[in-house]
Amino acid sequence: MDSLHAIGFYVSSAVLLIGGLGVALLPGRPLRGAALALSGVGLAGIYVSLSAAFAAAVALICYLACAFMVAGPQYRSVETAVGPLWRQLGALGAAALLAVLAYSAFRGDFVHASYSVGPFAARAVASLMLAHDVLATEAVAVLTVVAIAGATAAWRVRDRAR
Amino acid sequence: MSANLVSVFFVAGGIVAVGAFAAGWRRDAAAAVAAVPLMFAGAGIAFAGVARFAAAGGSHLVGQELAVLLAITALALVALGLGIAGREATR
Repeated sequence: MDSLHAIGFYVSSAVLLIGGLGVALLPGRPLRGAALALSGVGLAGIYVSLSAAFAAAVALICYLACAFMVAGPQYRSVETAVGPLWRQLGALGAAALLAVLAYSAFRGDFVHASYSVGPFAARAVASLMLAHDVLATEAVAVLTVVAIAGATAAWRVRDRAR
Repeated sequence: MSANLVSVFFVAGGIVAVGAFAAGWRRDAAAAVAAVPLMFAGAGIAFAGVARFAAAGGSHLVGQELAVLLAITALALVALGLGIAGREATR
């Protein structure tokens, strides 16, 4: 990877990590939505630096849509009855997960892998998704339709209950 | 300055851990749903990095395809999670 791609990768990683920490720590749904949108921008930047521009475009659209839903007026907060001890245990578990993933990445024999810049290749990705791996694409499409229909039904039930 | 596959895995692991932290730390269940795309983003970065670095001379598109499918799945899960959370909030 040349210096330009490497700088883009590290800057985008920093943007993504800052956005992720904002999703975890910022109060209020507009700020959380903005942090999620920032995460989407960083993720798209990482994909571009990895020469996956089509994935970058799709990820940017999807994460901006997620940010809109999180920051939107339909949002309702649901307070769970979990005590602070369990939350702290969850944070410790996330730290342990980070340690395990970092150790496995460091100890893996990936140092000599070579990088090769690729084209935009939207047509090639489309043919891969719609011809070669069509079953996976259709499964994700069914999941998306069911999830959005379920969300719409849940919102309609909520509106009727008011 | 250069970045290799280990750097990609460090970033992917960090994002997955930040997503897990957000899901566990948030008291609001609807806010915890917003952590799902972060964990999916970490997985997508790992897939795209492996496809770009480790498949020299072969197809580089499988990781990109999986990243696309993960982004769409994250969107669907956030929509479903916020819908269910909003329904629970009215009870």
